[in-house]
Amino acid sequence: MERPIYKPIGSPVEELDTPALIVDADILNRNINRVHSFFEGSSALIRPSVGVHGCPALAHMQLSAPGTVGGISVETLGQAESFNSSGIKDISINGLIVTDQKITRLCALAQNSTVTVSVDSASNVQDISNSASALGVTVRVLVAVATRPDRLGIQPGNPAVELAKLICNSEGLEFQGFRTHEGTLQIDNLSGLSQDSMGWINQVLETRNLSESAGINVKTVSAGGTYNYEVAGNTDGVTEVTAGAYALMDAKYQGKRDGLEPACKVITTVTSFPEELKIITDGGNKAIGMDRGAPVCNEFPDAVIALSAEHGNVNLANPTSREVVIRDKLWFTPWDMGVTANLYDYMNVVRDGRLESVWDLPARGRYR
Amino acid sequence: MDNYRPAIGTPIEQLDTPCLLIDLDALDNNHAVVADTYEGKICKMRQHTKNIKSPRLASLQIRAGGTLNGVCTAKLSEAETMIEGGIHDVLIPNQIVTDDKLKRLAALNKQGDVKVTVDSTENIEDISRVAVDQGVTIGVLIEVDTMMKRGGVRSPEQGVVLAKLAEKLPGIRFMGVMSHQSADGWPDSDELMRLSQYYIGICLEVKEAIEAEGINVEMVSSGETFSYATATEIDGVTEVEGGSYALMSNIYGYLDEFQISNKVLGTIVSTVGSDIGIGDLGMKTLSTAAATDASIEGIPGASILEVQDEHIYLKSNEHKFEVGQQFMVLPGYQDHLINRWDQYIGVRNGVVEQVLDIPGRGCHH
Repeated sequence: MERPIYKPIGSPVEELDTPALIVDADILNRNINRVHSFFEGSSALIRPSVGVHGCPALAHMQLSAPGTVGGISVETLGQAESFNSSGIKDISINGLIVTDQKITRLCALAQNSTVTVSVDSASNVQDISNSASALGVTVRVLVAVATRPDRLGIQPGNPAVELAKLICNSEGLEFQGFRTHEGTLQIDNLSGLSQDSMGWINQVLETRNLSESAGINVKTVSAGGTYNYEVAGNTDGVTEVTAGAYALMDAKYQGKRDGLEPACKVITTVTSFPEELKIITDGGNKAIGMDRGAPVCNEFPDAVIALSAEHGNVNLANPTSREVVIRDKLWFTPWDMGVTANLYDYMNVVRDGRLESVWDLPARGRYR
Repeated sequence: MDNYRPAIGTPIEQLDTPCLLIDLDALDNNHAVVADTYEGKICKMRQHTKNIKSPRLASLQIRAGGTLNGVCTAKLSEAETMIEGGIHDVLIPNQIVTDDKLKRLAALNKQGDVKVTVDSTENIEDISRVAVDQGVTIGVLIEVDTMMKRGGVRSPEQGVVLAKLAEKLPGIRFMGVMSHQSADGWPDSDELMRLSQYYIGICLEVKEAIEAEGINVEMVSSGETFSYATATEIDGVTEVEGGSYALMSNIYGYLDEFQISNKVLGTIVSTVGSDIGIGDLGMKTLSTAAATDASIEGIPGASILEVQDEHIYLKSNEHKFEVGQQFMVLPGYQDHLINRWDQYIGVRNGVVEQVLDIPGRGCHH
């Protein structure tokens, strides 16, 4: 458990015990407004994907903004339980739930909430149906469609439609529709991104059409994420987009989505300045994370950042004219916020440079 | 935060996944190897708890033997968890620089003996000022950079300047020198000795330069898992900061007297054909460090195709994957892995024997 030295509300952010996860409230609001305003006017709605941050306070903020389906999406059953206990009652779980004890937990959750689960096999449908009907609950079901043949999910077209039929005929289950979540962030231009995204999305839409012509009503087609929310959100037939990274953002998405800026960063302290071109900080891999890429040092954006487990190594390209002394603060924009937020128990919300509130991250570590 | 406490006696097959297992027989073996290696030696193990983050596991090594009854921690808040867990002697081989943290370090010295390493005059002056203010004496060692290119003095001359200052200032007790190094690849025993002598030798040069000034050097804290045995044969080394050896990982496979005792248990949730299985754990639960060079146990011939954020793709030509099957991931490198979990599930003979919290998880302050 994180053990920061307590600081009163109103403290200047530079006085917080480091390394610490800091959210700029104004930037966060702008990011949420930007994306949710889009969904106010688009054909699809947004289902905020909150596994990326694990924070109920932030999830409630996202749900209070316009343009949502009224619920969230999470990756694991453990996250669903955590967000459910914070009062969120419409939760869609992306991960497949296959073991008996997890299916029992899933159905228990459905006793007081609207729970949607993804499936990709007939046996899984049967197992969830058995448990749901025994408990007398209804579980909503989305068919996970593999829009690449080697990925999780059932093949689009007839195999997916057959599974949908089975769900419709299974007690305790309510067929919702189809979902996919594929795409490539690496495409910078909107037309290229659109072409790439539609390659995936069309497979699901064709599956939906096939399903409807077989007399099966499809309420939900879930596709897209932060990387292509404008494309997915404006595609006829897509009903919801499960985007999450847009709120806090990170270096991975920075500059790739108009109007979205990193709202969440890690503040660190310089602990050593042993060489002209090397600054050492107290924010290492365990405090920032670089599973998917290196963070960006805001003060030295050109520096090569190497994180050892416990230390941040800022390797400068040239001697700096900026005076750096031990105890100085350096700010890092994480490459992937999902990695970084999972390392913390608290998020410090800051406005105009002062601590405004501290948010718990109870869904951190809920892998089960 | 998870709080998964399966009943004692639960068979592994009935555990909810993913979860972090410790094979207790393998752990006992690793503790015994260290106890035997350091038996009768001047040099002792000071276990680095950044890799285990549990005072209970540290206590098990202390009970098994080979240690100086103390530990290392990477961070100050991690040191607090060890003091709270009943360990008295802690060395933080890292720089503590802010006044907030120095006050806490001073306060912790009223509960235990918590030493710290330094690499700058201003840091020594700050420690002295806060220690005097708080009415304690804080032990300091000079950190020597031998190859990691992080903190640490770069020359014996710098070390001497700091040692003289530490000797002079009140509130500080100068204790000695410290260094940490690493070895790449798959060294044999000759190469391990050569690397140990070379890098630890750089640290010993600083020690000798300080002694030449008439200053007593009590502690030489150098050496780690790769050099845990060789360091005991190098004159002057008083303690070794071994971390990885207790739970172990694939990259240390050349030290085959140790066994891998930490494993992440997962379940296959989907298949692609019968030769690809998709498991319910991914990069978030493992970390890149653990996923790189990881291996799979429990499924014949299984290897890792890809690690996604939430899923792992396994392939085997000898096995038909089925939904519901369990498997275990053995980490490539385990340090970062432990920092992502809240409990260890200790297993022996296929059933749960104990559940241990990991209080040092997330202690990056």
